[in-house]
Amino acid sequence: MINLASRDVLHGWGKFLFTGIGLGLLIGATLTMAGVFRGMVDDGQVLIDNSGADLWVVQQGTLGPYAEPSSLRDDVWRGIAGIAGVAETGNAAYLTIQMAHNGKDTRVMIVGIEVDRPNRPGAPPYLIAGRPILQGHYEAIADERAGLKLGERVKIRRHDYTVVGLTRRMVSSSGDPMIFVPLKDAQEIQFLKDNDALVNERARTAANPVFNRPGVPGLLEAAQASATQARSVNTVLVRLTPGADPATVANEIQRWKRLTAYTKAQMEDILIAKLIATSAKQIGMFLVILAIVTAAIVAFIIYTMTLAKVREIAVLKLIGAKNRIIAGMILQQALALGVIGFLVGRIAAGLWGPAFPKYVLLLPQDAIGGFAIVLTICGLASSVAIRAALAIDPAEAIGG
Amino acid sequence: MDRVNVPAIKLTGLKKRYGTGDAAVDALKGVDMTIWPGEVVGLVGPSGSGKSTLLKCLGAVIEPSAGRMELAGDVIYDDGWKIPDLRALRRDRIGFVFQAPYLIPFLDVTDNVALLPMLAGQDNASARKRALELLTALDVQHRADAQVSQLSGGEQQRVAIARSLANHAPIILADEPTAPLDSERALTVVRILNDLAHEYRTAIIVVTHDEKIIPTFKRIYHIRDGKTHEEAGEGRVI
Repeated sequence: MINLASRDVLHGWGKFLFTGIGLGLLIGATLTMAGVFRGMVDDGQVLIDNSGADLWVVQQGTLGPYAEPSSLRDDVWRGIAGIAGVAETGNAAYLTIQMAHNGKDTRVMIVGIEVDRPNRPGAPPYLIAGRPILQGHYEAIADERAGLKLGERVKIRRHDYTVVGLTRRMVSSSGDPMIFVPLKDAQEIQFLKDNDALVNERARTAANPVFNRPGVPGLLEAAQASATQARSVNTVLVRLTPGADPATVANEIQRWKRLTAYTKAQMEDILIAKLIATSAKQIGMFLVILAIVTAAIVAFIIYTMTLAKVREIAVLKLIGAKNRIIAGMILQQALALGVIGFLVGRIAAGLWGPAFPKYVLLLPQDAIGGFAIVLTICGLASSVAIRAALAIDPAEAIGG
Repeated sequence: MDRVNVPAIKLTGLKKRYGTGDAAVDALKGVDMTIWPGEVVGLVGPSGSGKSTLLKCLGAVIEPSAGRMELAGDVIYDDGWKIPDLRALRRDRIGFVFQAPYLIPFLDVTDNVALLPMLAGQDNASARKRALELLTALDVQHRADAQVSQLSGGEQQRVAIARSLANHAPIILADEPTAPLDSERALTVVRILNDLAHEYRTAIIVVTHDEKIIPTFKRIYHIRDGKTHEEAGEGRVI
């Protein structure tokens, strides 16, 4: 038996192909939206994985350091390091800023890490160029998406930093590229007041009789020095000894140190289930709407294509073609349209995805799932046209 | 049953009513008709006389309201359909030729003809072989691989006739097959139908208004107000 669907498609292949391309661009937009969502999840995941930590110790009762502000004294690690199961600790400070670079503002996350030895928790796990930070001040490692080059000097707040290393896929949960700097610098960037504020603060402290008491030498100087010291961090990242149970160690820290400690699973829940939940719902709604629009467009296209063949279908029915042959022709065309649309959409998403400012992650399983959904939509959408075709009266082939 | 002496078509008191109550219209008011194998019969009448309704009833496209209809001795309607699969009946036993050829535009000439035997279950090779035989008989074999849109009106009509014969149908219903053609081509089509009727013992009913071809029929059924009467035609040789 001749394949009527393929013959019809080949007869008007240009029209069919352009229709498929148009549909494909819509499917491409849908796949890209799914890729944006996956990118957000992946950003959160790499943030957790690349920190190299098993536990995040944060200010009591907060969801820090990524979802909420958290402030700890930078010496609490000493107490944590003594708890059974803790192999290593690392203070870390996080701050998202707008950095001026090459005449335009770039949003970056400044990460303060301890640089006294390599591979402290919080440090970038690998570099694609350059070396780790070796100086205690004014060196930086940047994610390649920040647009910085090795050896380049970049101004962050008050100071210039030299980019000594480049890394990849080190981003915040919002997808902002990270710039790693020594912890002391990050504390200064985050917590230290500007010069005018410091002068003002000193004057206020000096005017305060409690700090400027006669007969207590050195009190005012101590108070002034304290105001200019930044001694806080956002989290203490903890790496556990092999075999240590994260939940048990987290409980110990919470019990004895009056801090909150999150395991990796809990941090994933905070970042992925809580922090991006609203965005995920937003994208999910958009995906549902796009799927409905795609279904409506496919249904309309197939319906229009079918109505354009009323006479041919009437003739086919008159000369004895069974309903399944006619339904099969329409269904196959709808599926062919879906296949073309999906291929075009996947290619389009792959081409324009990297141009998006945020990470777009197109997963093979999403592509397979999307393909199945597209075929299902096309199959369901063709049912409208099939109903119309089966309702065509073969008498329409005969005049009168 | 001896099929040789059995009418190809026999209608007895065939009626068709559209609508009900006051809005009812009797399109056919008891048509009697007998057509023998190998005959080409004209069905002539003014617009609205019931020609198309009769053709649709004969083609098992619409259901008559009453009466009896036999095809080659088989009762297919007797106050109700007697055959469950009307599509198979149309496919295997009735050929259709329309005013316009109504070929399938996305199939080439051969496949337009071969489609019918394929629908009946023949394999592609034998269906195409049959199609080429018919195209040769109708002298359009040189356009076998052409697309429908590349054919002239006369060639398209010949292909449509070939299609109607593809399943060895004993009956062909031709609805104004010469309407779009000039005199010469119209007479050619009628000659082809006569030759086919003679060669394949096919009974052919030609619905027509065409004054050019009416004199070629040996028997003519006139239809007016839903009733037919038969008269002898000139049977002019083309």
